[in-house]
Amino acid sequence: MTHPLARSDRPLALAHSVLRVLITLNFILGFLIFALLIASLIASGPVFRALGAIPSPDNPRLIFGMRGIMVVGILAVPVLHLVYTRLLAIVETVKAGDPFIGINADRLQTIAWSVVGLELMHVAVVILANGVTVGTQKVDIGDKFSITPWLTILLLFVLARVFDQGARMRDELAGTV
Amino acid sequence: MPIIVRLDDVLYRQRTTLTELSERIGITLANLSVLKTGKARAIRFSTLDSICQALECQPGEILEYVAAVDADDQPVSENVA
Repeated sequence: MTHPLARSDRPLALAHSVLRVLITLNFILGFLIFALLIASLIASGPVFRALGAIPSPDNPRLIFGMRGIMVVGILAVPVLHLVYTRLLAIVETVKAGDPFIGINADRLQTIAWSVVGLELMHVAVVILANGVTVGTQKVDIGDKFSITPWLTILLLFVLARVFDQGARMRDELAGTV
Repeated sequence: MPIIVRLDDVLYRQRTTLTELSERIGITLANLSVLKTGKARAIRFSTLDSICQALECQPGEILEYVAAVDADDQPVSENVA
């Protein structure tokens, strides 16, 4: 028998749906970037002209840098998949009414390390983009340094410890009459 | 576990069933069964208070400490959590 969602369940239901969509979009995006990379190897001229770069003997670095960014984008797909699936698993435990379990602490830790990986990839992309600028042609990724992702990583590690402690406290209470 | 629960003895003495006790003190039968069968890991003072009030007894009549011994009848020391 189904029961109407309580008000507090609606954000959870929304999070569940959003994560499912993100998991699918992640795969689609990864496939598209992979296809773009292959296309850039087969027909570099038309592909890079469409991306606003004009391949010439003078700017092989630019082309190399753009392909490098595509590779980083592809590498980000499994890392993002890890983040989304672990978060979805946590949401499932909250929906089941039992989130303070040890495995959720592990999941948060995994998410934290994954976000570290994603930020390092982000730094790599910024370095690549700035390193392959040739004359007026540059890889513009519209990026500025932000401390927010690093604060998020710190928050995730702290939350992992909170969940770990919560799981221990819950275990201690189990069997208390 | 060195703590033995003697709830059965007190219930028998008071001619009360576990179900009746559960209804009187508002603790679920499932939890009282856990306590009675010695599977509880801890008991709240409020629970002990309710049981003692309902059964007109002292905590020492419900709970008994028996030191654990090894095969040679020597006390086994246990780490206190």
